[in-house]
Amino acid sequence: MLEPVTCTTCGTQVLVEKRSLPHTTVQWTSPTTRCPELAGCAPAGVAVCTRLRASIEEALREGRLRVTGGDG
Amino acid sequence: MSARSGTDHGPRTIEAGAPPTRYARGWHCLGLAADFKDGRPHEIEAFGTKLVVFQAEGTGRLHVLDAYCPHMGGNLADGTIKGDALACPFHDWRWGGDGRCAGIPYAHRVPRRARTRAWRTLEENKQLFVWHDPQGASPPEGVTIPRIEGAFSGEWSDWTWHTLRIDGANCREIVDNVVDMAHFFYVHHSFPTYFKNVFEGHVATQYMTSDPREDMTAADTLSAQGRLRSEASYHGPSYMIDHLWTEVGDATVETVLINCHYPVAPDAFVLQYGALVKKLPGMSDEEAAQAAAQASEGLAAGFEEDVAIWRNKTRIDNPLLCDQDGPVYQLRRWYEQFYVDAEEVGAEMTDRFEFEIDTERAVTVWRAEVEANLASRRDAATAGEG
Repeated sequence: MLEPVTCTTCGTQVLVEKRSLPHTTVQWTSPTTRCPELAGCAPAGVAVCTRLRASIEEALREGRLRVTGGDG
Repeated sequence: MSARSGTDHGPRTIEAGAPPTRYARGWHCLGLAADFKDGRPHEIEAFGTKLVVFQAEGTGRLHVLDAYCPHMGGNLADGTIKGDALACPFHDWRWGGDGRCAGIPYAHRVPRRARTRAWRTLEENKQLFVWHDPQGASPPEGVTIPRIEGAFSGEWSDWTWHTLRIDGANCREIVDNVVDMAHFFYVHHSFPTYFKNVFEGHVATQYMTSDPREDMTAADTLSAQGRLRSEASYHGPSYMIDHLWTEVGDATVETVLINCHYPVAPDAFVLQYGALVKKLPGMSDEEAAQAAAQASEGLAAGFEEDVAIWRNKTRIDNPLLCDQDGPVYQLRRWYEQFYVDAEEVGAEMTDRFEFEIDTERAVTVWRAEVEANLASRRDAATAGEG
């Protein structure tokens, strides 16, 4: 199940699933133009936005996002 | 063994589907540019038809035309380059790189409608590309082939290059590999420890770190030397640039691999691949060429392993995935953008998507398998001594 998470840096909302702690799915539903780390970069040329990653981890710690343990 | 869960279901029915009858929109690499610059026309069987590549003598530019002459159907690939035009072997009609008829020596005048299809070309990275679009439009802004600096630098080797025709499989099979972490262990005898995909716009990237497998000899594995980090991106439907960093002793060897293809028919494609290696300090041109040839051999072995699977597998539109598999369906959703009309490309096909696999379980199980293989080899050796 994908759950909305908003980046605390740029305010972009993405959909996230954590099937386990090491696994992460991030589905963007808008362009990366507001992202300070991805905007202007070659498409799929950067593996991760570290600030969005931190926001996802914060959501996990605060219980706004849960590990689903789901299948593919 | 893995745990089973859930209620009892009937057997899964494979939906093989039919390969698409149209061909992907995008830049397709036809080979090394220099190989077409030998003063002769070259036939390319692609996109369900035949093309001809020739170099204009005056301008030196490479051109791609439909191979069959629209006059009486002669094959221009059997013709002769005359100046900046290609002459048909059948009646000597001359065709320019822009597709216009440049002359008919035996006729008073050239018919006004005398035009053939000229394919849009691009030379980049010392390779020749052709643009295919069923709608006949130009490449959109930003959809191009990135320049690889190593291809133009004396600090790197020259390209090695290989061509392999695959019959009986649609080219989606090779694109699926982008997300298929587990096949790297089982088919290619490498040991992935980190695996992530990012799809965005017309680019699909695979970030992977893998270790050598101690139970395999150098000949059995792609990453025999040391830990290998790879960033591989499809730029459009068919051209992948793979940047590799391999630890060899104290040094890091930088390699660029190309893995590209063009479709021949719905169930056939031509796979091409090659390598560039950055020279280590003190490395001669010959040693660099040797290192590139070695990287290329590793690639060749890898593709042969893939081909062995493709030859006997079925096409499958509804793969049954487990929790540690990569995002096959999302990759195919991304890939679909090249098979629909440009105005039908939806945001769901191009919006950024990231998928990082939890490799913990796979690494544990694979480590145990490698250990067991090593132990049984030791036992066999001991038994041999006794």
